[in-house]
Amino acid sequence: MTTTSPETGGHPGAPSPPGLAGGPGDMTAPGVRVRDLVVVYRTPLGELPALGGVSLTIEPGTITGIVGESGSGKSTLALSLLNAVQPPGRISAGSVEIDGLGNVLELGGDDLRQARGRHLGYVFQAAQNSLNPLKTVGKQLLDLGRSHGADDPRALVRDARSLLERMGLDGARVLDSHQHQLSGGMRQRVGIMLALVLNAQLVILDEPTTALDMITQATILRIVREVHKERGLTTLMVTHDIGVAAEVTDRLAVMYGGRVVEHGPTMDVIGAPSHPYTQGLIRAIPRLSGDTAEARALPGRPPTLGTLPAGGCVFRERCPLRMDVCETVEPPPVLVDRRTVACHAVAGARQERVVREERVVREQERVGREEERA
Amino acid sequence: MKPSTVRGRPRVNAVTRRLAGHLVRGLVMIWVVTTISFVIIRNIPGNPVLGQYETLIERGMSPDQAERATAALYGFLPTGSLWEQYTGYMKALLHLDLGQSLSTPGTEVVTLIGSAAKWTILPVLGGTLLSFVLGVTLGVYAGVKRSGKLGDLLSISGSLLHGVPQYVIGLLVLAIFTTLWPIFPAGGPVDVEFVPGFNAGYLASLIQHATLPVLTYALASYGGWVLAMKSSVATVLGDDFILAAELRGLSRGVLFRYIARNAILPLFTILALSLGMLFGGAIFIERIFNYPGLGLLLVNSIGARDYALMGGTFLVTTMAIIVVNIAADLLYAVIDPRVRTGGVA
Amino acid sequence: MTLTTPLAGPPNMRATLRRNFWRGVARVMRRKPSRMAGVAIVCLFLLMAAVGPMLYPAHLPRDDNALYAAPSLAHPFGTDFEGTDVLALVVTGARYVILTGLATAVITVALGTALGLLAGFHRGRWDTALMRLTDLQLTIPGLPLLLVLSTVWKFNSPLEMGLVLGLLGWGGVARAVRSQTLSLRERGFIEAAKGLGLSTRHIIARELLPSMAPYIAMNVLIAVTGAIYAQVGLFFLGVLPFDSNNWGVMLNLAVFGGGALTSTAALPYLLAPLLAILLLTLGIVLIVDAMDEIFNPRLREE
Repeated sequence: MTTTSPETGGHPGAPSPPGLAGGPGDMTAPGVRVRDLVVVYRTPLGELPALGGVSLTIEPGTITGIVGESGSGKSTLALSLLNAVQPPGRISAGSVEIDGLGNVLELGGDDLRQARGRHLGYVFQAAQNSLNPLKTVGKQLLDLGRSHGADDPRALVRDARSLLERMGLDGARVLDSHQHQLSGGMRQRVGIMLALVLNAQLVILDEPTTALDMITQATILRIVREVHKERGLTTLMVTHDIGVAAEVTDRLAVMYGGRVVEHGPTMDVIGAPSHPYTQGLIRAIPRLSGDTAEARALPGRPPTLGTLPAGGCVFRERCPLRMDVCETVEPPPVLVDRRTVACHAVAGARQERVVREERVVREQERVGREEERA
Repeated sequence: MKPSTVRGRPRVNAVTRRLAGHLVRGLVMIWVVTTISFVIIRNIPGNPVLGQYETLIERGMSPDQAERATAALYGFLPTGSLWEQYTGYMKALLHLDLGQSLSTPGTEVVTLIGSAAKWTILPVLGGTLLSFVLGVTLGVYAGVKRSGKLGDLLSISGSLLHGVPQYVIGLLVLAIFTTLWPIFPAGGPVDVEFVPGFNAGYLASLIQHATLPVLTYALASYGGWVLAMKSSVATVLGDDFILAAELRGLSRGVLFRYIARNAILPLFTILALSLGMLFGGAIFIERIFNYPGLGLLLVNSIGARDYALMGGTFLVTTMAIIVVNIAADLLYAVIDPRVRTGGVA
Repeated sequence: MTLTTPLAGPPNMRATLRRNFWRGVARVMRRKPSRMAGVAIVCLFLLMAAVGPMLYPAHLPRDDNALYAAPSLAHPFGTDFEGTDVLALVVTGARYVILTGLATAVITVALGTALGLLAGFHRGRWDTALMRLTDLQLTIPGLPLLLVLSTVWKFNSPLEMGLVLGLLGWGGVARAVRSQTLSLRERGFIEAAKGLGLSTRHIIARELLPSMAPYIAMNVLIAVTGAIYAQVGLFFLGVLPFDSNNWGVMLNLAVFGGGALTSTAALPYLLAPLLAILLLTLGIVLIVDAMDEIFNPRLREE
C-alpha cells in the first residue's frame, strides 16, 4: 500500500478557478427537516430501534456536526438522509424533507438513484476504500457521469480536475491513478471531489477525518470549510471527535442512544452544554475543559441496540440528574435559549427559571408601581 | 512504490520481476519432475532399460550398437554409473529427445504426444469455457441472492458436483447417454467411415464424439466455479466501495460491472489450479470415452510397459501444467492494477 | 470464540466452554437436519468397513444361474458377471476404501500439521523452503504421478496406498496450518503465551493446536475425500493388480470387463459402487458444511 502522503501542493485559499461549471450561485443551499425518524434493526432478539424518533432541522447553508459515541445512531441518521439504511436495518417511520427533493423516504428506483450523487453528495471515512480498486479515478468519474446522464464528459473531467486542483492535488495525475496509488488524504479529497462534481448542494461527510494523521486531518477540514463557503453548500458532518466538530461546524447535534439529545449553535453547545450527556462528553475531553486533572470519563458504558432501555430517558442509567420521571417518560425536545434539549431536568430548570424570572419581573413591576405611588 | 513513478517503467518492472521469479521457480519444478521421472524409470522392477540392451545383444548386435539403440529408445545409456545415466537423460531431454515408443515401434515419443495433445487440449478448453461461463453467471446469482430457494439449490448442486470425482460424473454420463438413452456414440474420437478433412460428415461425427467428454469436463468443473464465484461475490458485496458506488447513484449496470469484475479476478488463480486438476480428470474421462488424448496415452503406455512413452507423456503434461500456471499468474498480474503497478507485493 | 478458550483458563471454565461448544454443535445440527444425515451416512460407511467383511464368507458365493441378474429381493442391486451379489461386493469393498482413507488422514495430519507449524512458527528460511515444497506438491498433478509411481510400486495393502496418498496430499493441510499459525501470531497470541512463561511445546500442544483443530479437521476431511477418489480411480483405470475387493475394481470390471454398458439389465452392477461413492461424498459434504458453520463465527451469526 502506498502511504507516502504528498500533501505538498496545498495552496490554501487559492482562488476558485474560472469555468467551474455550476459554481456557487446556480443553486441555493437546501434545508433538511427530519421528522420522527425511526430506524429499526432486525436481530435475533427482534427488531431493535437504532433511531428512536429523531427530529432535526438543518438550516440551509450551515455546516452541521453530528457527534456521538459509536452506536449512537449518527451514521444511521446520515444514511437515512439518502434513504440508504443498509439491511438488516429498515426505516420504519418518519420523514426526511429536503428542499428540492421532497420526502426522500418516498423516493425509490431511479428517482432515488438520481438524487444520490446529483443532489446529495456522500463522503466516506478515509480508511474505507470507497473507490473501485480496479479502475482509475478518471474512469470511475466517467462512470459517475454516465450514470447521471452528464452529456459532456470533457466538461466533467475539467470540473473534476479543477476541483482536485482546488484541493491542492495534481488533477491530471490523480485522475490517472488507481486507489492503491493514493494516500489516505488524497483518497479523501477524491471522495470529496466525487461528491461535489455533479454539483450536489447537500454534502454528508461520514467521519471524514478518522484514520488520517493530524496534518492531513487539518488540511481536509480546511478544505471542507472553504469548499462549503465557495460553493454555497449545506454540509452535514458526522464525527465522534468533538474537537473536529468544534473546528468546522456552525451547529452541533449531539446524539445518544438513537436520539438527538441536544442541538444548537456549536459555540453555545460546547461552551455551555446543557444536556447532562453533552456536559459529560465535554468534561471527558481535556483539550476542551482545559485541565487534564479535571477530565473525567463518563461513568458506565454507551448503550448498544440490545441494552437500550425500553421506556423513559435512554440516558438515565448514566445520568447524574436522574429523576423519577426519567424512568417512565421519554423527554421531549424543548427549546432552551437558542437550542433544543431533550432532558426532563433541563426542561424543569428552565421552567423554574422562567417562573422565577417572571416573579422577579412581577416583583420589580410591583416595586416600581409602589415607588410611583410613593 | 512511490506514487510519483507509477506510470511507464515501473509497470514493466513489476511484471518482469514477477516473470523472472516464476521462471526460476518453474525451472526448479521442471528439474524436480524430470529427476522424479528418471528415478522411476531407472527403478522399474526388472530394469527394462538393461533388459532391452541385453535382448539386443542376444539378437546379435554388438554391445556398442545395442547401447546406442537402447539409448535412442530411453534417452539414457543402459550401462555406466548412475550419474552418467542421469546426465545422459538430461542431455537428451534438452534436445527434446524423449526416445522412441516401444508399443508403436519406430515412432518418436514426441510425435505420439504431439498427435494426442489436440484430443486433450480442445475438449478441456471447450469444457472449461462452458463451465466457466455457466458457473460464473449462476455464481453471481447465488452470491447476490444468498437466501432463497434457487440460491440454495445452486449452492448444493455446486457442492455436490464439485465434490464428486470426475470419473463418477463421466460414468454416469456414459451410462445415461449411451446405454439408457443411446443418443451419442460410446467411444473413440470419430467414426471411421468418414474421410478426415473439412467435410460435413467428418466434422459432424467429430462433434458428436466430443459432446460427451466436453459435457463431462464441464459438469466436473461447473460446481467449483459456482462456489468460488458465489463466495467471491459475497466478499465483494461487503466491500465499502460497493456501498460508496450505490450512494453515488451509479446505475445498476455500472454497479453490476463493478461487482462482477472484482469478483471474477480471484478466480483466475483458481483457473490455473483447475487446469492441473482437469488434466487429472482427462486421464479418467479419456479412458471412459476411449478418447485418444494424453491421458489415454499415459494409461495405455503403462499397460503396454512402454516406459519411454510413459515418462515422456508424464514429463510433457507436467511441464505444460507448470507453464500454464505461470502464464495464468502473469495474466493475473496484467489484469490486476494493484499487482501491475507494484501496489501489492 | 475458540481462540480465547485455551489461555490459562481454570479447569472448570474450560469445561464450561467445552459444554458450550457441544451446545453450539447441537444447535448447528438442529438447524439443518440434513447435517445429521451427513453424520449418519459417514457412520454407516465406517460401520460397513469395520464389520462388513465379517457378514459374508471370505469367498463370496457365485451363482452361475444368475449372471447379471436384475435387482431382486435376494440381490437388491443384482449380480455381477460371475453371479456374485453386488451389494455384498460393495459392503465388503468398503473396508479397503475406508482403511486407505484413514491411513491417508493420519499421514496428512501428521505431516501437514508438523510442517505447517514449523513454517508458521519459525518463519524466515524454513518458511520459504517449506512453502516452495508445498507449492511444488500442489502444482505437480497428483494423478499422473500416481500412475507413473504405480509402475515401481504396486501398493499391495490399503495402508501402503494410504501412505503414498498421504505423502502426495499434505500440502493443503500444511498451508492451512501455516496461515492459521501466522494469523494467531499476528494477533499477539503467541507472544502473550510466551510472556506468561509457557514453553514452546506447551504453546503448540495446549494453545495453538486446539484452536486450529477445526481447520485441520476440515482440510483433512477434504484430503481424505481426495485420497479415496484417487484410490478408487487407480483401480478403476486398471493400472494396479486386482488382488482385493474394491469399488474401483468393480467399476473397472463393469465398464471394461463385464460389459455392463451393453445392456440396461447389468447397469445396477455399475451404478451400485457409483452410488456408494456419491453417498459417501454427500455425507462428507454435509459434515464439512456443518463444521464450516460451527467453526466460522462469521457464518454463524448470519
